[in-house]
Amino acid sequence: MAEAGADLIRRMAARDGAAFASFYDRYSPLAYGLILRIVGDRTDAADVLQEVFWEAWQAAASYDPARGTPEAWVVIRARARAIDRVRALRRRSRTFVEPVDEVSSDAAADPSGDVAERAVARTTVGSALGALPEAQREVIELAYWQGLTQTEIAERLKQPLGTVKTRMRLGLERLRAIVGGQGA
Amino acid sequence: MTHEPFDTEAAAYALGALEGEQLARFETHLAEGCARCLAALREAGDMAVVLAADAAPAVPPTAVREALLRRVAAEASPARRQAESARWWTSWATAAAAAVLVAALGGLFVQGRYEPRLAALGRETAALKEELERQARALGQRQADAAIAQMLRDPATRVLTLRGAGPIPTAEARLLWQQEAGGWLVVTNLPPAGAGNAYELWTISGGRPTPAGVFNVDASGRATHRVEPVAQAVDVFAVTVEPEAGVAAPTGPIVLASR
Repeated sequence: MAEAGADLIRRMAARDGAAFASFYDRYSPLAYGLILRIVGDRTDAADVLQEVFWEAWQAAASYDPARGTPEAWVVIRARARAIDRVRALRRRSRTFVEPVDEVSSDAAADPSGDVAERAVARTTVGSALGALPEAQREVIELAYWQGLTQTEIAERLKQPLGTVKTRMRLGLERLRAIVGGQGA
Repeated sequence: MTHEPFDTEAAAYALGALEGEQLARFETHLAEGCARCLAALREAGDMAVVLAADAAPAVPPTAVREALLRRVAAEASPARRQAESARWWTSWATAAAAAVLVAALGGLFVQGRYEPRLAALGRETAALKEELERQARALGQRQADAAIAQMLRDPATRVLTLRGAGPIPTAEARLLWQQEAGGWLVVTNLPPAGAGNAYELWTISGGRPTPAGVFNVDASGRATHRVEPVAQAVDVFAVTVEPEAGVAAPTGPIVLASR
């Protein structure tokens, strides 16, 4: 399956439109679910989805199997673009809603923040993340679903940067063990 | 350099959580081909996929697929057409070049195979032609000989002797002659007339020479020449050296003359 995906990307790099159609049909439901979860709005999500797959078409030649599976390639790109969109929406809404007072802006006053909060809240208990201690799960979710950097997470949680880094590392190690256990 | 910081950074990198100097450092490190970090990156990518499973897959609007396929087709088709056209041209050019090569080789082959045969046939033909001409000359000579023998048996035939005159005193000729039937001039010891020249026989009647034909000698200095009958009585027979096409009135020296 992964090999077939890599083949599709190789053919896309050779400007094979049929390969792109297959690639889109295979990976778009995964990407769209992820984007929708992050962005929250179907119209925005559809925009982002198109952006992601257009980028994939353009960047097919730079795909390096040594760096990850085609699935990961799509997911990481989809997540990054979705987060870009959320950040852009956040900046725009901040400009309109609170053009002057940037210091007081927080998640509660931010509609896009609400979306992100809802996304985090929707995390299912049965998922791999659900198996993590709350503190570790929190930093990973903020990074993954809201696209916050470690510095931003530290600010948001009012925790030292070192603590955030440690929690993230421990959480990811634990996830890796769970994922590895699932894989075995 | 301790590897420790990069282990966590692979995961952060995969999640796009690295920034600034950290990001630049890690990308440089990856570019150096660190196998351990590439493995960590692959693992982080797999985790990103696992985490994505937290969101249920969703069927995207068909409009997205249609729009994308339109954009891709606009970009893919001309490129593919070009590639196909290039392939077609290349194969066509290759075929054309191959055809030229085959033709050239075929030509060489035909030439190589048949040229010796053609040359042999040419030589054979030339030899046959030469033989035919030789036999024609021989036949002509035999017919002339027969005619001469016939004339010698005829009591009406006069035999005239022509002696070498001027430059070639050793030359000699006999003329078998009948006023009404003409005759034959048989020449011996006459050297070739030279390039572009021939010998011309004259019948001289009343001091006026009349052309009686052009002839040449063979390698042994012999010639047999048919002489047509003339209306008037001939006083003298003479041979001069003239241009090989012959002339209406003598211009060269007399080499043979009767009397």
